[in-house]
Amino acid sequence: MMTQRTAARSCEQALWALPLRLREEGLSLSEWDKSRAEEFRLRAGRPMTAVIAGEERLLNGPPVRGEELEQLLEIASRASVHTVLDQIRRGYLTVEGGHRIGLCGTAVMREGEIYALRDLSSANLRIARQVRGAAAPVLDGLCPGGRLADTLILAPPGLGKTTLLRDLIRSVSEGEGCTPLQVALADERGEVAALYGGRPQLDVGRRTDVIEGCSKAQGLMLLLRAMGPQALAVDEITAPEDVAALRTAAGCGVTLLATAHGTARADLERRALYRPLLEEGLFRFLVRIGRQGERRIYTVEELTA
Amino acid sequence: MIRVMGAVLVAAGAAWIGFQAAAGLRRRVRALEEMAAGLALLERDLELTGPPLPQLLARGGARSQGPARALFLGCAQGMDNLAREDFSALWRRQLGLQEELGPEGQAILSPLGDTLGRYDSARQGEALSAARRRLEELSARLGEDSRRQCRVYQALGLSGGAFLVILLL
Repeated sequence: MMTQRTAARSCEQALWALPLRLREEGLSLSEWDKSRAEEFRLRAGRPMTAVIAGEERLLNGPPVRGEELEQLLEIASRASVHTVLDQIRRGYLTVEGGHRIGLCGTAVMREGEIYALRDLSSANLRIARQVRGAAAPVLDGLCPGGRLADTLILAPPGLGKTTLLRDLIRSVSEGEGCTPLQVALADERGEVAALYGGRPQLDVGRRTDVIEGCSKAQGLMLLLRAMGPQALAVDEITAPEDVAALRTAAGCGVTLLATAHGTARADLERRALYRPLLEEGLFRFLVRIGRQGERRIYTVEELTA
Repeated sequence: MIRVMGAVLVAAGAAWIGFQAAAGLRRRVRALEEMAAGLALLERDLELTGPPLPQLLARGGARSQGPARALFLGCAQGMDNLAREDFSALWRRQLGLQEELGPEGQAILSPLGDTLGRYDSARQGEALSAARRRLEELSARLGEDSRRQCRVYQALGLSGGAFLVILLL
C-alpha cells in the first residue's frame, strides 16, 4: 500500500504538468494534504482548487488565465499536440506518471465528430495512484492449480474494476502468488497501464506487453498475432467486436482477463452483449466488487460450475 | 627589400579579404542547404511516425549538419523546461543563434515556432515543406549570386592588392 511520502511525491509529480505559477501554488500545500489530494481543478477566471479527501478546497491564488490553460496543454503534451489529438478528442490526456488531465473548451467539430478543443475553459488534473496488492484477496480463488483461469471482473463504475484488473495483470505478470504468464494488454484509452513515451507509467509487471490508441478488438487481434501471449487482458467489454475478439483468443488457448459494467451475474444474462460470454463459457470465474462502508468487498464466483 | 615584403603582404591581405568575402557567401549557401535538408528529414519523420516534438528534433538534429543540427538539438534540449520558456520563444531564441543563415533565412524559419507541435502532423508537415521550399529557392538564388559575386570579390581583392603595391612601390 502507498505511504504518505509516496502519495505526496505522486502529487508533486502530477503538478509538474502545470504552468509555473499554478505548480508552485499546488506545491505549497502541506505534505499531508498533498498525500490525500485527488485532483486539481483549473477554471478560467477562477482560482485553482484542490480536491482533497473528497472535498474541493479553494487555493488562494489569482484566477487562472486562459493562456495558462493553453500553456498547460503545451507542457502536458511536451509541445506535441499532434501526438495527443486523439486523447484530446476523448477529453483527457495522460502525462508522465499516468496522471490524467481532463480538458474542456469549445469543441471544433468535423463531420459530426469532435476534432479538437479550442478556447480551453477548464482542466482537471487527476493524480494517478496505484494500489499494489489490490488483487491479493482474490488471487488464490482465481488461480486453481496455481495458474490464472479465465476471469471476468464485474462492477458498476467507480468501484475499482480498473484498479483490480491492473493489479491482477501485475501479479500474474510477476508471478506473485501464481504461475508467471506473458500478459498482453489492449489498453484502448490508456487507463490501465498509461503508456507515456513507450513506457507504462503504472506497474503492469515485467512480462506485460501493452497496446493502446486503437479499439480493443483491433488491439486484441494484433496482440494475439504479434506477441503470442499466454494471457490477454482488456478493460471494459463494450462492443460485439470485443466479444468476437475474445472468442478468437479463447479459441487459441489464451487465458482471458476482462472487465464489464454490472453488479450481478443476472446483468450478464440479461444483456445481449454479455450473454455469449456466459453461453460459450469464455470465463471460468466472475469477480464481483461491492462496497461496505469505505471497504471494497470482492466475491469470486465460478461461472461454469 | 622591406618595401617589397610589405607590398607582398598588402597584396596578399587584400586578396585574402576578397576570398574571405566570397567564402562567406558560399558558407551561407551551404548553411541554407543544410537547413533545407534538415527540414526534409523532419518532414519525413513526422509523416512516417509522428513522434513527439522533442524526439523529432533530437532525431533530426542527430542526422543533420551545421545550423540545422545546432537548432534542432538546442530546441530539443530546451524543451525540458517549457514552463519557463514556451516553444515559440525557445525556437526563436535558438534560431537567433544561427547567424550563418542570415536574416532572410531566419525570417523564413521563424514562423515555424508557431506551427511546430501545435497542429496535426499534416499541417506541420505542410509548414515544414513550405519553409524548406523557400529555403531552397533562397539558397539557389544566393548560390547564383555568390558565383557571380565570388568572382567579383576575388578579382577585386587581387586587383586591389596589385593597385596598392603599385602605389606603395
